Amino acid sequence: MSCLFRTAVVAALLLVPPAVQAQQPTTPPDTQSDMQGMPGMDHGMHDSTMSMPIPMPPGMPMMPGLKGLAPNVAPFLPGASADVAHLPVARASELARLKDGDTLDLTATLVRRTIRGHTFTMYGFNGEIPGPLIDVPQNATITVRFHNSIDLPSSVHWHGVRLDNRDDGVPDVTQPAVAPGSSFVYQVHFPDAGIYWYHPHVREDIEQAMGLFGNVRVDSPERDYYSPVNLEQTLMLSDLLVHADTLIPFGKEDPDFALMGRLGNVLLVNGEPRYALSVHQGDVVRFFITNASSSRTWNLSFSGASMKVVASDVSRFEHEERVPGVILAPAERYVVEARFDKPGTYALVNAVQAINHYRGEFQPEVDTLGIVTVRSEPASPDYAAAFATLRHNTAVSRDIDRYRPYFDKPPDKRLTLTVKVSALPLATVQFMTIDTAYYAPVEWVDAMPDMNWLSSSKQVRWILRDDATGKENMGIDWHVPQGSVVKLRIFNDPKSFHPMQHPIHLHGQRMLVISRDGVPVRNLVWKDTALIPVGSTVDLLIDASNPGAWMLHCHIAEHLGSGMMTVLHVDPHGGARGAGAAR
Amino acid sequence: MSLFEAGRRIRRPATLLALVMFMTAGTAGPYDITLLSTPQAPGARGHARLIFAPSPFGVALTQDGHAVYDMQITASGLPQPSSLGAFTTYVAWAVSPDLTGWHRLGPVTNGTTTVGHADLNKFLLVITAEADTTGASSRGPTVLHGTSPSGWLQSFLTHPLFRGISQ
Repeated sequence: MSCLFRTAVVAALLLVPPAVQAQQPTTPPDTQSDMQGMPGMDHGMHDSTMSMPIPMPPGMPMMPGLKGLAPNVAPFLPGASADVAHLPVARASELARLKDGDTLDLTATLVRRTIRGHTFTMYGFNGEIPGPLIDVPQNATITVRFHNSIDLPSSVHWHGVRLDNRDDGVPDVTQPAVAPGSSFVYQVHFPDAGIYWYHPHVREDIEQAMGLFGNVRVDSPERDYYSPVNLEQTLMLSDLLVHADTLIPFGKEDPDFALMGRLGNVLLVNGEPRYALSVHQGDVVRFFITNASSSRTWNLSFSGASMKVVASDVSRFEHEERVPGVILAPAERYVVEARFDKPGTYALVNAVQAINHYRGEFQPEVDTLGIVTVRSEPASPDYAAAFATLRHNTAVSRDIDRYRPYFDKPPDKRLTLTVKVSALPLATVQFMTIDTAYYAPVEWVDAMPDMNWLSSSKQVRWILRDDATGKENMGIDWHVPQGSVVKLRIFNDPKSFHPMQHPIHLHGQRMLVISRDGVPVRNLVWKDTALIPVGSTVDLLIDASNPGAWMLHCHIAEHLGSGMMTVLHVDPHGGARGAGAAR
Repeated sequence: MSLFEAGRRIRRPATLLALVMFMTAGTAGPYDITLLSTPQAPGARGHARLIFAPSPFGVALTQDGHAVYDMQITASGLPQPSSLGAFTTYVAWAVSPDLTGWHRLGPVTNGTTTVGHADLNKFLLVITAEADTTGASSRGPTVLHGTSPSGWLQSFLTHPLFRGISQ
């Protein structure tokens, strides 16, 4: 009779007078000092306290019971002690074409970034946002000398790359955090062709959001690995949360926006609010797209252009498919090809159906991210025929064939995704208790940024729970022998206080999403990140071939910062441990 | 009547199903629809589950962001369609909440049937008796109906939580 219990709880909550809802001081004493009067504040942080108004979406008022409250964390923005006028202007990503044995110096620095006339202090790798586009041949090994010149500890995680464990870039698991002014040397081996990315694994909610991300393109030696195209483009998607000319500060000691993650209101492609591309009529363009945003799941399309999806995180699909758009959860990558067959312009849009919780309605939300201008000169060569063909990648299917015998075995591990909250503002608890009569499988926008902003990881603990032991997050002791094929079943509990989708990322291995809610996935692709919608049960098959201690976590930066992580130990051949699923 | 006696009286599967539906109404998952019967077929029972249509991205969306679902409908107690008139089959429809848009999903029988696709934000799932399975609009009586989970979205326009807002 949970509905009766729910009704009783709601009724009890509503009897509490509004006067007791304000649980936190409007201007907490400890949130006043750090940012005000600092030279770096010319980037718009004139009001550096957390008491600033949070930008609300159109038609969604801030709840009266939340007005005047502030997150229970101190505010932080990059470069508090830096003179923004003397910071280098952030440059666009530059190509770093490397070969086996080469060395790259990669420095995280403060940069000055102007967006829509407003100047902010942000971070960049080698002064670039995104960082350098590293282009390497498959099976190359490069040396990356990372130097940390920002004001936080940092590291570099090579997302999706099945490299040696010591180079995975995870503080307290594979290396110590790299202190400001210090360095770390990574040896990065790239065994798989495709599109990968790199970012810090320290306070991603700040460092990644402020510009520390870049792509790695790993080129197959096969000339026809992809279909022929006229042009290739690498797109990194991110967003910034801005109010007027001010960046909304981050939580200094812990992430804020812990409930939903920080969804920005300025959407960026390659760090720019307006992407532009010029092509010939009939050109086929291959887009390597990476979602580098903290929490946003995107639904991209080129208005009117036909498109097919070719590859994802760690491999090509078994077969190419026509798609109306590209859906990317945080950290996911997709390779798509689009043909622009008419002269004129095509808008690159992110189109979702947002929920107005105040009115109880859906409303379309469309952001134009850029324009593709198609000139009237015809494409040369004309790849229309190749584009019309949907390829079957038999090599991918043959590779996966070795794993099909394990598809129907019982799960080796079952994890439930849930959340625990404490000490949230009463109005938040009241609203969310009532409002979760319906919970969207995927939250596309932050429709309630006031409540989200006022939640920090001091109050919100996101959880991966081992169904067998009841252990949670880093308390889960999970070992499998190297060479195992591990079936992991993940259930995203819709009955939690705040159900939300989770893009679950596994480091250092590759995995297949073999079924969703009991329905087998028919077109397989090797992944490192899988979107788990609310209420869904997803079966993953992990090729546990790479020894070491590998993080498994939600890639919503604030969920990770609120505890939603564990470690999969792949014990090497001949190792002492081995409780997993042997082949 | 004691609880024990009540338990003895609800052994019939249809009654049990109805009780379970009543107890879980409003707390079902984001993919579940409880179907209610009408006087035309009072013995009919059913539920539906929304399943994302096959997609390389795990979730399926239209270009403008509407979720696209296949509908798995489980029904029991549907009488012969001909018992309701000149009808030969049952058809599932996704219907806009204002009843102006009817989108044929496919034929339904007793047991479990998967039909598709529904891509409305909020909709009613309606099962009607029909003369054939190809009609663009419903002509027969409704035997089962339910509301999409998104129908649970509530307006807070006049709720005490938003007291003080003038819009």
